[in-house]
Amino acid sequence: MSLFLLVLIPLLPLIGFVINGIGFRHIPKGAVGVIGSLAALGSFAASVAVLLAFKEAGSQPQIVSLFDWITVGELSIPFSFQHDQLSLLMLMIITGVGSLIHIYSIGYMKHDEGFGKFFAFLNLFLFFMLLLVMGSNYVIMFIGWEGVGLCSYLLIGFWNKNTSYNNAARKAFIMNRIGDLGFLLGIFTIIATFGSVEYTEVFRQATGLPIGDPVLITITLLLFVGAMGKSAQIPLYTWLPDAMAGPTPVSALIHAATMVTAGIYMVIRSNVLYTLAPETLEVVAIVGAATAIFAASIGLLQNDIKKVLAYSTVSQLGYMFLGLGVMAYSASMFHVITHAFFKALLFLGAGSVIHAMSDEQDIRKMGGLRKKLPITFITFFIATWAISGLPPFSGFFSKDEILAHAFEHNKLLWAVGLVGSAMTSFYMFRLLFLTFFGTFRGTHEQEHHLHESPASMTIPLMVLAVFSALGGVIGIPEALGGSHQLAEFMSPLFDNSRQANPEAFMPISLSHSEEYMLMGVSVLVALLSGIAAYVMYISKASVPAPESETRQGVQRAVYHKYYVDELYDAVFVKPMRTLSNLLASFGEFFIDLFVDGTGRLVKALANLGRQTQTGSTGYYIFAMVVGIMVILFWNLLIK
Amino acid sequence: MYPIVLLSVLGIVVLYLGFLKSKSILLPATLLFLVVAMIGNFFEWNDGELLYFKGMFAVNKLTLTFNAIVLFSAFMIVAMTQGFQDNEEAQPAEYFALMLFSLVGAFMMIGFENLIMLFLGVEILSVAMYVLTGSDKRNLRSNEAALKYFLMGAFATGIMLFGIALLYGASGSFSLNGIESFVTLNQRSPSYLLYAGLLLVLIGMLFKVSAAPFHFWTPDVYDGAPSIFTAFMATIVKTAGFAALFRLLSHSFSGIYDFWWPTLSILTVLTLLVGNIIAVYQDSFKRMLAYSSISHAGYLLIALTSMTKQTENAILFYSMAYSFATICAFGVLIPVAREKSLEGRPNESYEAFNGLAKNNPLLAFVLTVSMLSLAGIPLTAGFWGKFFVFSSAVERELVWMIIVAVLMSAVGIYYYFRVIMAAYMKEGDTATIRIAPFYKIVLIAATLLTILFGLAPGLFEAAM
Repeated sequence: MSLFLLVLIPLLPLIGFVINGIGFRHIPKGAVGVIGSLAALGSFAASVAVLLAFKEAGSQPQIVSLFDWITVGELSIPFSFQHDQLSLLMLMIITGVGSLIHIYSIGYMKHDEGFGKFFAFLNLFLFFMLLLVMGSNYVIMFIGWEGVGLCSYLLIGFWNKNTSYNNAARKAFIMNRIGDLGFLLGIFTIIATFGSVEYTEVFRQATGLPIGDPVLITITLLLFVGAMGKSAQIPLYTWLPDAMAGPTPVSALIHAATMVTAGIYMVIRSNVLYTLAPETLEVVAIVGAATAIFAASIGLLQNDIKKVLAYSTVSQLGYMFLGLGVMAYSASMFHVITHAFFKALLFLGAGSVIHAMSDEQDIRKMGGLRKKLPITFITFFIATWAISGLPPFSGFFSKDEILAHAFEHNKLLWAVGLVGSAMTSFYMFRLLFLTFFGTFRGTHEQEHHLHESPASMTIPLMVLAVFSALGGVIGIPEALGGSHQLAEFMSPLFDNSRQANPEAFMPISLSHSEEYMLMGVSVLVALLSGIAAYVMYISKASVPAPESETRQGVQRAVYHKYYVDELYDAVFVKPMRTLSNLLASFGEFFIDLFVDGTGRLVKALANLGRQTQTGSTGYYIFAMVVGIMVILFWNLLIK
Repeated sequence: MYPIVLLSVLGIVVLYLGFLKSKSILLPATLLFLVVAMIGNFFEWNDGELLYFKGMFAVNKLTLTFNAIVLFSAFMIVAMTQGFQDNEEAQPAEYFALMLFSLVGAFMMIGFENLIMLFLGVEILSVAMYVLTGSDKRNLRSNEAALKYFLMGAFATGIMLFGIALLYGASGSFSLNGIESFVTLNQRSPSYLLYAGLLLVLIGMLFKVSAAPFHFWTPDVYDGAPSIFTAFMATIVKTAGFAALFRLLSHSFSGIYDFWWPTLSILTVLTLLVGNIIAVYQDSFKRMLAYSSISHAGYLLIALTSMTKQTENAILFYSMAYSFATICAFGVLIPVAREKSLEGRPNESYEAFNGLAKNNPLLAFVLTVSMLSLAGIPLTAGFWGKFFVFSSAVERELVWMIIVAVLMSAVGIYYYFRVIMAAYMKEGDTATIRIAPFYKIVLIAATLLTILFGLAPGLFEAAM
């Protein structure tokens, strides 16, 4: 029964994909949305059932082997699912948030001609994402990893009539390929070192290795390169803001709540390896902190509602990696969960705004929408409050936990995180104020058209708002009188780490007063930034300058995203183009010569060989006799 | 053992059913009988190693798996015959009975423990094939093919019988065990009688699986025989032939591996070259498939030549993948050739496939998957078949052989993709071809299995 349910989880979205993918030309729109959403909801129900059964059975991790997948020499890769605390948490996020976004899409994509295709892709994405987190070895994870990358590519370029969207899709794909290369090399190194890709086997062997073993550092760094690509960390983050070309539900599901957290999932899954490689963790923490502050600073001056959220996602992912780097694995997972709620909510809210504004995304043209879109406004407000880390909403608990660990580990990292947090609060409130407060700045036509979104869109918003507000209860720290259920739930995942590197893996040693102090500081900073945003955009009612105005100094650099895209273009893309042009004009000649020559040779040989087939039986038998004679003579007399 | 008894009896039943006025019962009855035989086959699944007829015939997991592949292929081919209802001249009862009898021969080739059994099996299978090749009585080429096949088959049979006699002369035994103990006793002092006998038996068998230089009959016979029987020949005869070769070489003659592998390796390379290179020049899709079957005999011979632990699994998987893909290829060829017939004859050239995808997306898709599998493209069963074959050769360090094989599979892509390109890219007007539902199901099932085993080759082992 458990096996059946477990298989059902990824199978349902796959079935949904097959039905909608094959039949989207024939199935009516209403049915497409229902089939797609039911697949997601069914998968969610199965996940809940599996979670309950898991708890009932005493929370023991289980590996369910489906069949031997690939056996080559000594290496055997089974196709099996592992369900434990980590994969179950991910399952809940993916299927839960996924279901809501499916339902939302019914309303949001209603007028789109690619409706069926869209739902087919969404279901396919769910399937691969579930495979990624359910597999019991790195190869299945890699299949999922590549699969979600493919779906991401397809969905970013969903409106493929627009060339710049296609370019964005290509960029995402290529950037991810760079990361994938690292990930693959990491898997190969794992195979070469441990002779297996099964998590349990790899981790069992890894615990026997000394701390800081070069092999482990190599493996973890390579895997982290993969995470950098998928989870958009410096230097591979530039694809994520461009990925906003995709429909908004896609941004919410793939580029905020689930796929981009695959890197964090992977690190937590491999926590033993990382715990044993402190040097790598150092790198992870620095990259995470740098990304957190860097992306947040770009977010300060963006004027596209989705771009702000995109940079915010990059920055929040940076926080999660910062948490991983200081070995606050469960705190990072906590942030993954709360972030999934409030960031999905923000994107869906943004989608609702864009829907109402007839596809306008520039916040300079919005304003005063709170009266026209009350539900969207309230839910968006809750999410803003949550992401800014203000109590009592969920973001406060998860972000503070990461910052507390960072503080204990390294004061500088904490300070960077704090500055990033201040920026987060500022750009989020700026976004909120510019969009929903003040006076409407759009065209008359848009104003006339303004309307609250249909129920299929607002209900997911409300559900997510509840979770964004209350999601923090699963991880209330002891200092605030809670028991941090999440950390307790996840604790068995880190048994191996604890055993392998007990010194590094110590519980937080801050006193309660210190914790109160840290919380106080971060809340204060966030509040102050929020107030600053209020002063600027409500009291002074200033609006960001239009595109045409030239900006000066630092502001100019930030506005243009520090020219990173231009830099990559100049350093990588252009030389590559030149080289490929050179090869095309020069190398092609020789290659053609070789290829055509081979073709001609084979053809000539074939013509020659064909003539042996005369059609005369006598000749055939003669040839056979000659063959027999040669074989016998050679074997019996000559050899 | 059950399938042999069952099909011998049920074959006669089919002949009697032929007396009925209505011929429409024959096809479902034959299919049912094949299912019965399949069930019978699994009765001995868990019985381990069994011996029958005073040790002349063996039943074990390996033979049962080969039987299953053969039966499954036969089921699909019989399902595609459509009962010969569109042909007034046809004698469906006799064809079906002959097919069932020939399967009995195939089982004997798979399970023999005694050379007499092997000989009997080869003859039962071959004689039925000679007749089926010539079953299109009004067609001159079918008659010519049957006669050619018979003449050359008789020649090869003679050679093989002579080899068996020499083996008996050397070892004083017909049984695999007897020969094996003789071989191990006399490993140091070579017996030329034994060597000559082995070579002649091998030549006889290589003729049946159409390895070069004993392949000359293949293109002419495959081309001349009615397509449905060509499919039968290309899959069942080949699978049974390789099962027999494997049992012979892995059992009795593994002690003198050093003697036979050089000869076999040279013939392997020759087969690969002949099959793949000549296939390039063909204009007829059916004739190309004949050369393709020669080339696949070459790949299977690689596994045989390396004869490692992996060989058994490699041959099983390869025959399975090859059979499914070949059946699909013929399954598409038959309706297309009929639709495009020229002057009353089916048109089997590449041109017949031009523009097939436009109105017949399913047929084009099935064709594409089968061609990809035959070419050994990843995500199809054919890829893993080649992979297992090559990895067994790697284990023996026969690198030069793999180089030839890989180059030749590159050549293979040329002629396999030609028909895909014709179906999808060339201009042509093929009306929507009506296919019976059951025919369609068989095609889809074989295609899905090809993809499934391409995604998860482990499933095949798990099923065993």
